[in-house]
Amino acid sequence: MARMTLSGIKKSFKSVDVLHGIDLEISDREFVVFVGPSGCGKSTLLRLIAGLDTISSGEFHLDERRMNDIAPSRRGIAMVFQSYALYPHMDVYENMAFGARLMGLEKDEVEKRIDEASKMLRLDPLLKRKPRELSGGQRQRVAIGRALVRKPKVLLLDEPLSNLDAALRSDVRLEIARLHREIGGTTIYVTHDQVEAMTLADRIVVMNNGKVEQFGSPRELYERPANTFVATFIGSPRMSLLDVERNGNHLALPGSGAVSVSRLPHSDERNLVIGVRPDAMTVSTDESTDGFRGNVVYTEYLGENTYVYVRLGDGTLVGIRSSASVDLPPDTPVVITVASEEIHYFSRATRERLAA
Amino acid sequence: MPGSPLVSRRLWISALIVPPLAFVALFVVYPIISAFAYAFFHWNGLARGEFVGFANFYKVLFTQPYADWTVNAFLHNVWVFFALMVLQNGLGFLLAYCLWRELPGAAFHRISVFLPVVLSTIIVGFLWKLFLHPLFGVVNISFRGLGLGGLAQPWLGQDSTALWSLIIANAWHMVGFPTLVFLAGMQRIPGEILDAVRMETESEWTKITKIVWPLVAPSATVVFTLLFVGSFNWFEIPYVMVGLEGSPHGATDVLGLYFYRTAFGNMSGSGQDFGAGSALAVLIFVFIALVAGIITFKLRAREIQI
Repeated sequence: MARMTLSGIKKSFKSVDVLHGIDLEISDREFVVFVGPSGCGKSTLLRLIAGLDTISSGEFHLDERRMNDIAPSRRGIAMVFQSYALYPHMDVYENMAFGARLMGLEKDEVEKRIDEASKMLRLDPLLKRKPRELSGGQRQRVAIGRALVRKPKVLLLDEPLSNLDAALRSDVRLEIARLHREIGGTTIYVTHDQVEAMTLADRIVVMNNGKVEQFGSPRELYERPANTFVATFIGSPRMSLLDVERNGNHLALPGSGAVSVSRLPHSDERNLVIGVRPDAMTVSTDESTDGFRGNVVYTEYLGENTYVYVRLGDGTLVGIRSSASVDLPPDTPVVITVASEEIHYFSRATRERLAA
Repeated sequence: MPGSPLVSRRLWISALIVPPLAFVALFVVYPIISAFAYAFFHWNGLARGEFVGFANFYKVLFTQPYADWTVNAFLHNVWVFFALMVLQNGLGFLLAYCLWRELPGAAFHRISVFLPVVLSTIIVGFLWKLFLHPLFGVVNISFRGLGLGGLAQPWLGQDSTALWSLIIANAWHMVGFPTLVFLAGMQRIPGEILDAVRMETESEWTKITKIVWPLVAPSATVVFTLLFVGSFNWFEIPYVMVGLEGSPHGATDVLGLYFYRTAFGNMSGSGQDFGAGSALAVLIFVFIALVAGIITFKLRAREIQI
């Protein structure tokens, strides 16, 4: 079992508040990803969970046990570091055995665990090598192996793919997903890469400025973003946000005309932000179409699609996914139609999602 | 062709390299070689006599009273080396560890530990001689003030404490050096490696012995080798604090004093013997070079790239 409860977690370094009250419930066997722009506090939160930094205020419980004052080595938590942090003077076997021995395990048990881990991670031929004789991907596997031999309740991974080249990254990502299924503990994974977050996570914690913006499954985050930050952070290319004024069932955009929509938010706020993903819009050169008017700025041809970037009347730049055959020169006047069903509504005042 | 860029470049390089090379040759290489040569001659004062082969070496190693003096001084150097290894390097390592862990007041202590190192050895010697004065020294006054008058000793005046007093004065003076070298070594250890250890143990002892110590091996090589050379060349502190005779009656005699006394004579009038002195200098040089070479070679082998 590994159920984690974080309530009101705050962290300040001297007078700088880094985390402003984090509340999270993480269930056993869950794969949770902390994602957010750099400086959002996700790595700090991970270090608090690990025990490497002290919690300024708030409570952290693991399986009903208060962890705030427990030493990192006694929490039943293992961590894989961004730089892997292997002990340079020990070979691969020693790197894995070091922590296991310190847990007071019998010699046989240590050997058995290393054997299991090295089979699972294909480390057998490397056991006698020193870290400097390994490639990045191999070091990564050793770092994971070192964490696994301790059989932790919770495995923490701090941007584990950031030091690998692009080709290796997707392999290791699959490997981590497989390991999580096989080991069956709770895994917390920190990244700034939303693709890693979306592909790996059961649930994602989106963080910004030391706060949790939303905690939910990848599908929830993508389909029902709680606010404009999550809306633009998840999804690539990003969702376009338009400041519109509601008039009956019309949404007016200054300088670009108005469109009528079949689905509106329940709130009666007049000033709204609408969010539209690149695939929820179509671009047309037929001036009589009902939609927002604008001018093409540039197009990106990507083989299967072309992204058309259009400047609207109020200066907003929107990206639209179109078929690859579309080829519009810059400055072409176009009309953008929006699929009503796919519009996300947010309050202009609070930037929070409005139910529609 | 004069004036061409290549020629003027060569001239420049020569102009920069030749003077220091000449300087080193004249003031370092030449004296060493001539000391080797002097050791094989008989000397009358500073006038060179006939070639005597290894007679000077035989004299200092196997004839009395030289042989006893040589062994006595050599054993004291060995003592000094091991005592300083513990007091100076051991303490230096621990101080470096404390400074590195940024305990409260680290900035102040970093300076205060290193401050004595920049003092001249002569000043430190006189300072400690005053500290240890039997009547007016701050050490004995402090003991008496604390009601521990029984611990007050004539530190430099009795066999049992004289050498130790010198060793402590030297450790006080130089402890900042190994501290600084170890601290630099520790600061090269990546923070994440330390975090990784903290995830596996909370024992400071395990962290120090299993992780930090092996990772500062390059610093240890430097510090050990320099301490070895320094211990067997030890001269200034004993010279200032106990004089050329290594008083009281040879209890603090070390190779440096003994060589100086033998080669150049001393106030109390014993004759000077340049041949025997040179033989001693050569022996000291060869011993230090050999052992320091072995130490460096052995310790290099356990260094690893971080």
